[in-house]
Amino acid sequence: MKRRDFLRQASLASTAMMVPSFLTGSSLGKLYKNRAGKILVVVQLSGGNDGLNTIVPYRNDIYYRNRPDLGVSKTEVIPVSDDLGFNPALQSLRSIFDQGQMSIINNVGYPNPDRSHFRSMDIWHTASESSEYLNSGWIGRYLDSNCPGCQSPYQAIEVDDTLSLALKGQEKRGFAMSDPNRLKRAADNRILQAISKAPHTGADEEKVGYLYKTLIDSESSANYLFEQSKKHHSTATYPQSEFGQDLRTIAQLITADTDTKIYYASLTGFDTHANQKARQERLLGQYADAMKIFVDDLKQNGLLDDVLILTFSEFGRRVNQNASRGTDHGTANNLFLMGGQLKKPGFFNEGPDLSNLDDGDLKYSVDFRKVYATILNRWLEAPAPSILGKSFADLGVI
Amino acid sequence: MNKINHLYWRAGFGLSPDEWRQKQNWSTSKALDELFSQAKKATLLPVSPIEFDREDKKSNRDAFQQMKKDEHHKVAEANIAWVNRMADPNESALLERMTFFWHGHFACRSELGKLGVQQLNLFRKHSLGNFRDLLLGIAQDPSMIRYLNNQQNRKEKPNENFARELMELFTLGRGNYTEGDIKEAARAFTGWSSTLDGDFVFRPIWHDFGNKTFFGKTGNFNGEDIIDHILAKPEAATFIARKIYRHFVNDKVDEARVKELGQQFFKANYNIGKLMRSIFESDWFYAPENQGAKIKSPIELMAGMMRNLNMRLDQPMGLLFLEKALGQMLFNPPNVAGWAGGKNWIDNSTLTTRMSLAGLFFSSSEFTMRVKDEFEAVQSEGKMARKLSVKMDLKPLVSAITATGPDAMAQELAAYFLPIVPVIKLNSLTQTLPSNEKDGQIAALAMRILSLPEYQLC
Repeated sequence: MKRRDFLRQASLASTAMMVPSFLTGSSLGKLYKNRAGKILVVVQLSGGNDGLNTIVPYRNDIYYRNRPDLGVSKTEVIPVSDDLGFNPALQSLRSIFDQGQMSIINNVGYPNPDRSHFRSMDIWHTASESSEYLNSGWIGRYLDSNCPGCQSPYQAIEVDDTLSLALKGQEKRGFAMSDPNRLKRAADNRILQAISKAPHTGADEEKVGYLYKTLIDSESSANYLFEQSKKHHSTATYPQSEFGQDLRTIAQLITADTDTKIYYASLTGFDTHANQKARQERLLGQYADAMKIFVDDLKQNGLLDDVLILTFSEFGRRVNQNASRGTDHGTANNLFLMGGQLKKPGFFNEGPDLSNLDDGDLKYSVDFRKVYATILNRWLEAPAPSILGKSFADLGVI
Repeated sequence: MNKINHLYWRAGFGLSPDEWRQKQNWSTSKALDELFSQAKKATLLPVSPIEFDREDKKSNRDAFQQMKKDEHHKVAEANIAWVNRMADPNESALLERMTFFWHGHFACRSELGKLGVQQLNLFRKHSLGNFRDLLLGIAQDPSMIRYLNNQQNRKEKPNENFARELMELFTLGRGNYTEGDIKEAARAFTGWSSTLDGDFVFRPIWHDFGNKTFFGKTGNFNGEDIIDHILAKPEAATFIARKIYRHFVNDKVDEARVKELGQQFFKANYNIGKLMRSIFESDWFYAPENQGAKIKSPIELMAGMMRNLNMRLDQPMGLLFLEKALGQMLFNPPNVAGWAGGKNWIDNSTLTTRMSLAGLFFSSSEFTMRVKDEFEAVQSEGKMARKLSVKMDLKPLVSAITATGPDAMAQELAAYFLPIVPVIKLNSLTQTLPSNEKDGQIAALAMRILSLPEYQLC
């Protein structure tokens, strides 16, 4: 027998798999009708995006002195305020900014910054102190907080094949899905396809019940999200990049009124230690072009007022360029909010103070957890202090 | 579950079919004698130097990048070799398991091959020995020194990172020391550093020889003194006993039992082997509530399945993708607190991948998931890295199964593979078998049973 034939016949999908009655019934099908109202989209720029070359202090001599090769020249920059301008690769975001649908928060960071990607990302995901190790993420703990709809397995979706720590709670998890079609195909070929109502054999529910519940939730979510993804076909032309397609997936699900409150997507490659300029600008261009289409798409469907988009990176980079025309890991960074309901569009605060550095690194003035607290309180209407472990002042941006 | 099977899943990575055939009726004390004597014979792994010519100034940065790449690759190789050892019945299962436990306890990211293997050797040497030796070894371990910034811990500007984790995560847990104790302990470890070649070095000129006040006592303490002061607290013994209980017995901790184990460990002067033996010899270790009570970690799952199927990877880079996708990459824990374990392993993505694992292995198929932060060592292998090609010899499994007929064979396979009675009726798995031959039927049944949720437990 050919290996493929063996597999087809040997795999569980071809057998009538029996799943016990205590696990079927109510948990199958679409349970959770509660479309969100307000939706949060988180965009993670992985690798440490160089914020200084993203939002450029184009009137600052210290900037140009520290970056003789890398500095974005005054002629290239797109000025958006008296002293700050966009990297030219962000051209497509200009209209969003001008229309008051973008807030830029400068100097975001946390005390005792860690310059390791892994650790700093960990801190951003868990919203911990830099001396503290948590094994749940801030969105995961939001899911744990008994929010309306949080019992749904797809209340928070990460558009990827694996799930980030940010979306893992103590009890509940977000849902990882890179592509509804693939997810559906996988689900169709899998174990649970042939669920039936056979009585269970008295198995140990405490030990294995959690695994079965996760499986059945995955199965029903796959079916639901597949159906949702077919409801609305976006006519906007998204970039072919993976990131562009991820945003398209999100836009289509939002437009179809999917019962999902949080979406999470990433764009990676920002660790620009060498020959930064071309690489960063290519990535920023990818980011900006996709975001522009995404925002316009939502606007066209009258949804931009319901959506808040947060863009962050785990750290910024050092002020001084290095010997390879790149930059090394730094600390504080800027962060973007986009959406139709921003209270302080434009620049939330002053740009970085390059004359007052901490050993060559920017000092933070806004703790990133204030941003989370504001989003949790104002947008998700969730108890920020219990999710974040302490109270943080509201920034009043949304 | 059969006691021997339970013991080998916890003290090792399960049994190979040959081991199952030979040992399933052994007494636990016979099995323990073998496990512990085998662990004594295990040798240290060869350490290869970091190859980097610092004199070559001109191409220094390129050479440095190349060295980093090569070293990443060596870490990947050490990772794969380790999983193969875990799966290999000729290696000491207990030693590999203990080494794996300490690797998770003293969680540390190693980016240089030499440092990773060196640290592994430290664990191999002391994993069943004395905890004080292990702790002192880790305080002087170049990989840990780098990971917790002890190179930056100097008299003028102490770095508290190592001192903090030493107490919070490695020995005492929160509530058993003050911030002041951390500050003073950090001073005692100043100058404990690592050379560029990756060896431990004490640099007296960075060391603070002044008096320190630690746990209420004042003296010119060095790092070794701090370790002794910590271990003089019974809380340290309890802390380690609890961690061991959670790893080897049950995530749900029986505090009374842990207290007892902690006292025993303290009285035995931190002899780890003695503690482990007394756990594995106890009746409660084999109690039904402790069987099938743990969700296997990804490494336990993969090494265990390789062992169960008498299997080796011959296109091994695919293993790294699986580790990444399932959330446990050796030498690369999420942070110094290690892998959280238990239900934290499970989400929709990891569970689906876990349950597809047997299918992946049986088909040697390509791994098509998107995996975050693809690391250099694997990237450079290109697409081939995603291929999972395995060598599986099922003859020992076929001869270990004595029953005839699909239903009876399924029963026997389930008794071998699964820690608890599966939720589904086994006879629902025996229909539509692709073969009329015993070999083919066993292969198909094995793949089905290994895909059940119950196989995720041990």
